[in-house]
Amino acid sequence: MVFMAGPIAVSLYYSFTEFNLFQSPRWVGLQNYTDLVGDPKFWRSVVNTAYLAIIGVPLGLALALLTALALNFPVRGQPLYRAIVYLPAIVPVVTATYLWRWVFNAQYGYLNELLARVGLPQPNWLADPLWTRPSVIIITLWGIGGTAVIYLAALQQVPQQLIEAAAVDGANTWQRFWHVVWPTLTPVTLFQLIMGVIAALQIFAPTYLLTQTRSNGASGGPGDTLLTYAMYLFHNAFVFLRMGKAAAMAWILFLVIGGLTVLILLTSRRWVHYGSE
Amino acid sequence: MTGTSLTRRRFVGLGLASAAAVGTVTSCSKGPSSSGGQTTITFSYLWTGQEAKALESVIARFNASQRDIVVKGVSNPDSQAQLAAMTGSKGAFDISDNFGTATGDWASKGIIRSLEEYIQRDKYDISDFVPSALDACRYQKQVYQLPIAVNNYALFYNKTLFAKAGISTPPKTTGEWASAIAELTRTDSKGLTQLGLAGASGAAIDYRLLGVVFGGKWYAGGSPTPTDPGNIAGADFYVNNVIKKYGVKQINRFASGFGDYQSPQNPFYQGKLAMVIDGEWQPAFIQEFAPDLDWGVTPVPHPDDRPDLAGTTMVAPGTLFIPSNSKHPDEAWEFMKYLVSADAMRTFTKALSNLPSRTSLLKDKAYGEIKNFDLFLDLLASKNAVSMPSEPTLAQYTADLATADDQITRLAKTPAQAYAQVAAAAKSYA
Repeated sequence: MVFMAGPIAVSLYYSFTEFNLFQSPRWVGLQNYTDLVGDPKFWRSVVNTAYLAIIGVPLGLALALLTALALNFPVRGQPLYRAIVYLPAIVPVVTATYLWRWVFNAQYGYLNELLARVGLPQPNWLADPLWTRPSVIIITLWGIGGTAVIYLAALQQVPQQLIEAAAVDGANTWQRFWHVVWPTLTPVTLFQLIMGVIAALQIFAPTYLLTQTRSNGASGGPGDTLLTYAMYLFHNAFVFLRMGKAAAMAWILFLVIGGLTVLILLTSRRWVHYGSE
Repeated sequence: MTGTSLTRRRFVGLGLASAAAVGTVTSCSKGPSSSGGQTTITFSYLWTGQEAKALESVIARFNASQRDIVVKGVSNPDSQAQLAAMTGSKGAFDISDNFGTATGDWASKGIIRSLEEYIQRDKYDISDFVPSALDACRYQKQVYQLPIAVNNYALFYNKTLFAKAGISTPPKTTGEWASAIAELTRTDSKGLTQLGLAGASGAAIDYRLLGVVFGGKWYAGGSPTPTDPGNIAGADFYVNNVIKKYGVKQINRFASGFGDYQSPQNPFYQGKLAMVIDGEWQPAFIQEFAPDLDWGVTPVPHPDDRPDLAGTTMVAPGTLFIPSNSKHPDEAWEFMKYLVSADAMRTFTKALSNLPSRTSLLKDKAYGEIKNFDLFLDLLASKNAVSMPSEPTLAQYTADLATADDQITRLAKTPAQAYAQVAAAAKSYA
């Protein structure tokens, strides 16, 4: 309690002060919050983060589910495939990001090499503001192994006799999935959705590593497209030493995450099915 | 409630007990960093590897030179950790290093000590320090840091590529520079194969320096002046002669193939860039990574109509400071004086292939072994050697300028538009 609740409560106080770590905090009321509302970089970080969450999270869930379905097919070498899919999830994010930097290299990267072979245009992934955020989504998609494994476990909980009964009743593959398999997966999906949204709103490491400069600078990537919410919070706290503003950002994020979680839980009544219902 | 108060009391008790224990242990061994007239001070520095080794030899010589102070050197390249260590009331180190850019920010927040009282007490002569380097160590007319190893910048060129293009002398004026860039840029059916000028890590170039080269100023009277006509002219020069001419997409694609800066794959060593603006450490780097490269270096060209701006460079000093929470500031000051003394400075800067910050060392023969180093030494003495004023707003300003630079490089905004936007944002700097 002392180590968690203490700092959390103090950060709320700091969010109403001007505090640079070295001099005593000075009470400024709501100024940090009103400053943020008028700060274009704050809004840019909100837009960038929303982009990553709105596109990245559903895409990640869909791909993880597809992967899990594929891994559920009884084929030879199934454990091997499962291991391969899970492998990227255990690669440290720093290593993965540096690796992807080379994959995305416009001149020598594997990705553009591949695109060139099939005659597609080859974007300058990490230098073109249009492509930087899709690049980050691709990096995060690479690590969906964890989500896929949870889906896989859930798939194995689907009562086999229900699927067989549906098949006997003449349901085709899609109908069997949509009416039998999917409803049993919805509780897991709800959990993964909430965790995914929280993770996406806090994304920091890949974007920070892709924009890191040699010194302790505050870079946001081409056109500031990689300036995520957590990164701008970090810049305010540790580059500009504006702890008050950073604390205010942290509290806003906390409230937004709380609000979104409640919202998702409320909508879940319409689409999540529990076994007892 | 009883629970919490009990816990707190026990916590305090524990703290006292452990403090007492530490006190006993240290007084048994060496004394709380001072016993028998000897004081141990900690020098935490950001340098690592070879540079740290050179520094350790200087520290060893200091320790051997006298009996009052023992300096313990600690290499810690993490600048975040450095800052964090200076927050508490008891400092983790007594002296450390950073850059001139930190002066205003740190001095205004009371993070570092003013050196003024020591300078006056000892009648310490600071007139030998290179003016532009010492300027970056001042905040509100007080000296807060002392410069030791200095960086400045000039134009490196590949002599082989110059000869192939039939250019016999490096450009002196921006007019000559523009035509050299054009003659040294090559393309084939796939795109660029050689670029006359760009940054060594990508399309972006040092716009701060280009602005100054065109007579611009980034600060005036303590306030940011991003829209100074010289600053805009500098960026315009690069945009018109490189970015617009060869295409931002093409340059970015070409630049994405640049190898690591500190490796034999550096695009300048590879002949991908015929000219590049770089610092005085580069001669030593080339010696290490590309010993066969035939290269020269020349001051960044001056505008055709401004011969008075010849020999312009930007100076960025590496600096030494005493944190406000140092437990032994007096001893730290004694050691600082030793570090910036001519002998120690010569040893250290030569090992780093960085410039000394003392005017009296600029003609020193010791630096003669490093190829073309004399040009950087001369530039440091130039009347047009300037440093970025170290204002408290610099970190924020630098971040906003970086956004503007990026927009300029991508042609998303003209230099005039991009810097006007910075000027507008700068009005809200505290």
